[in-house]
Amino acid sequence: MAPAPHIIDVHHHFVPPAYKAAVQPKRRFQPCMEAWTVQGSVEDMDKAGVATALVSITLPGLHFGSNEESRRLTRICNDYAMEMARNYPGRFGLFAALPWPDVEGSLAELAYALDTLKADGIGLYTSYDTKWLGHADFAPLFEELNRRKAVVYTHPVCAPCCQGLVPEINESIIEYGTDTTRTISSLLFTGSAARYPNIKWIFSHAGGTMPFLIERLVNLAKAPPFAAKLPNGLMHELQRFYYDTAQASNPSSLGCLRTIVPTSQIMFGTDYPFRLSIEHVEGLAGCGFSAGDLKAVHRDNALRLLPKWSR
Amino acid sequence: MAIIDVHHHFVPAAYKDALTAAGDACPPPGFQAPLRQWSAARSLEDMEKGGTASAMLSITTPGIHLGDDRAARKLARACNEAGARLVADHKNRFGLFAALSLPDIDGALAEIAYALDNLKADGIGLYTNYRAKWLGHEDFAPILAELDARKAVVFVHPTSVDCCSGLQPEYNDATIEYGTDTTRTIGSLVFSGAASRYRNIRWIFCHGGGTMPYLIERFLTQAKRMDHPELLPDGVLHELHRFHYDIAQVAHPAPMSCLKRVVPTSQIVFGTDYPYGIGSLGHAKGLHACEFTDSEFTAIERGNALRLLPRFAG
Repeated sequence: MAPAPHIIDVHHHFVPPAYKAAVQPKRRFQPCMEAWTVQGSVEDMDKAGVATALVSITLPGLHFGSNEESRRLTRICNDYAMEMARNYPGRFGLFAALPWPDVEGSLAELAYALDTLKADGIGLYTSYDTKWLGHADFAPLFEELNRRKAVVYTHPVCAPCCQGLVPEINESIIEYGTDTTRTISSLLFTGSAARYPNIKWIFSHAGGTMPFLIERLVNLAKAPPFAAKLPNGLMHELQRFYYDTAQASNPSSLGCLRTIVPTSQIMFGTDYPFRLSIEHVEGLAGCGFSAGDLKAVHRDNALRLLPKWSR
Repeated sequence: MAIIDVHHHFVPAAYKDALTAAGDACPPPGFQAPLRQWSAARSLEDMEKGGTASAMLSITTPGIHLGDDRAARKLARACNEAGARLVADHKNRFGLFAALSLPDIDGALAEIAYALDNLKADGIGLYTNYRAKWLGHEDFAPILAELDARKAVVFVHPTSVDCCSGLQPEYNDATIEYGTDTTRTIGSLVFSGAASRYRNIRWIFCHGGGTMPYLIERFLTQAKRMDHPELLPDGVLHELHRFHYDIAQVAHPAPMSCLKRVVPTSQIVFGTDYPYGIGSLGHAKGLHACEFTDSEFTAIERGNALRLLPRFAG
């Protein structure tokens, strides 16, 4: 018998058919994305006891050169998620897509998503054409997200620098985790993390590779120019960020992460359809969490950010 | 003093001159202050502080190939001879991981023979990539075949790669990119089949394996999706479990807790990255803040390295 649904998945992808049809002529979708259906998502959630999935758009992304097209694609995706939420009450929330780097379009979509659609937060990529999130270009966006105390979920990409480097290895294996680390580091050392303290950041894949590189970050933060960018210290920022468990629900990675941040910052995530929800439930069960901590990771930590799913 | 430091850099005069001459043309991070100020006396002084008995000397990034094969061969030879002199002048205090003129293959093959046969070097130092080719690339097959035939100890140090150098102006490549490049070359060796093909090579990777241990679940996923699983007949963990990993810049409870869950403690060796980082004392203190038993501390500080480098037992 399937477990009673109680888990909240903050890292779950969806592929609106109209978005797929519009993008397919120019970009390839991976087979599991190609095959995505809302029924498939629900079945995967039901098998693992996932009550609610916060959906977001992953690769190939939303901006292919034209702002106008990107605005249209973004709107298609955000509206489709709301349709999923209506058709499956209680099962889907949304980290809304933006047509970044179109600044005006992004500010307009942000308002529409949060005010009209009541989206749960905003989904961003870790970098846009080799600009990581600490870059000055993002200031107007983060001013607004900070003012709204928004939840901002970030998903990695393989930055243009790093595509096709080692032919035997899929880009998701090394480059995704690295790009998350780059953007965390960018937010920290440009001062953006401290400048926008009300943004509630969620980073994918247990923080990429940041936790393993912690000593490098600690040593860098001691240098006076960086210390000035981190008035509350490096660990203050790292310990207020949130980290999902997608593709990292194993004792090596989560044991490392828990050495650096409190369990309160760790949230269940799956990366569906690239991986299954049940694999993450089983993986987490072997990570040595107490029953209370496991429940926090499965559900309670996400509810603190997204209380509307407590019903 | 008992510690054996497998990751300790030296700066022979010839290397100093070459980096100075290269100036701004020198790849990042170039000729930084800790390198400019290096001397054997400073090395020994740092070793005393943390209790290092013997340090294996290697040339750090950007390495000795600064554009020209002939110049690189000459520089490799000069560095290796300078290293061999330090080894001879300070009995049992220094060993040598010899430099090669890669990506110049012929020069590198000649230098492997000279360094191991004539200079009796303790192993060979490689970088994680040469011109954006990682070590599993077929170009390096003759080098790996020779090192395999000699059952060599091979120390692999990260370096910048053009694609990923200076990506973020705020900080240099060492912070994130070095660790990533070590992971790339481990992935390249494992998934190209080179790791299982050249199984007599005794690999040491820097900085706890870069970021590989944290990405272990991804590595296992990649292994399941290989087009040619016959390249990895004993599985990815078999290869990862026989590599060695030094603790330089990762002597911290977070990365160590991760590394020791991915590989047996027998594969972890002491390293400092001197003259960078926090030196031998900082690493010894950092290591002892991690969760290991007393016998594991002894193994990491000495015993594990001695299995690779038995001549330092005396």
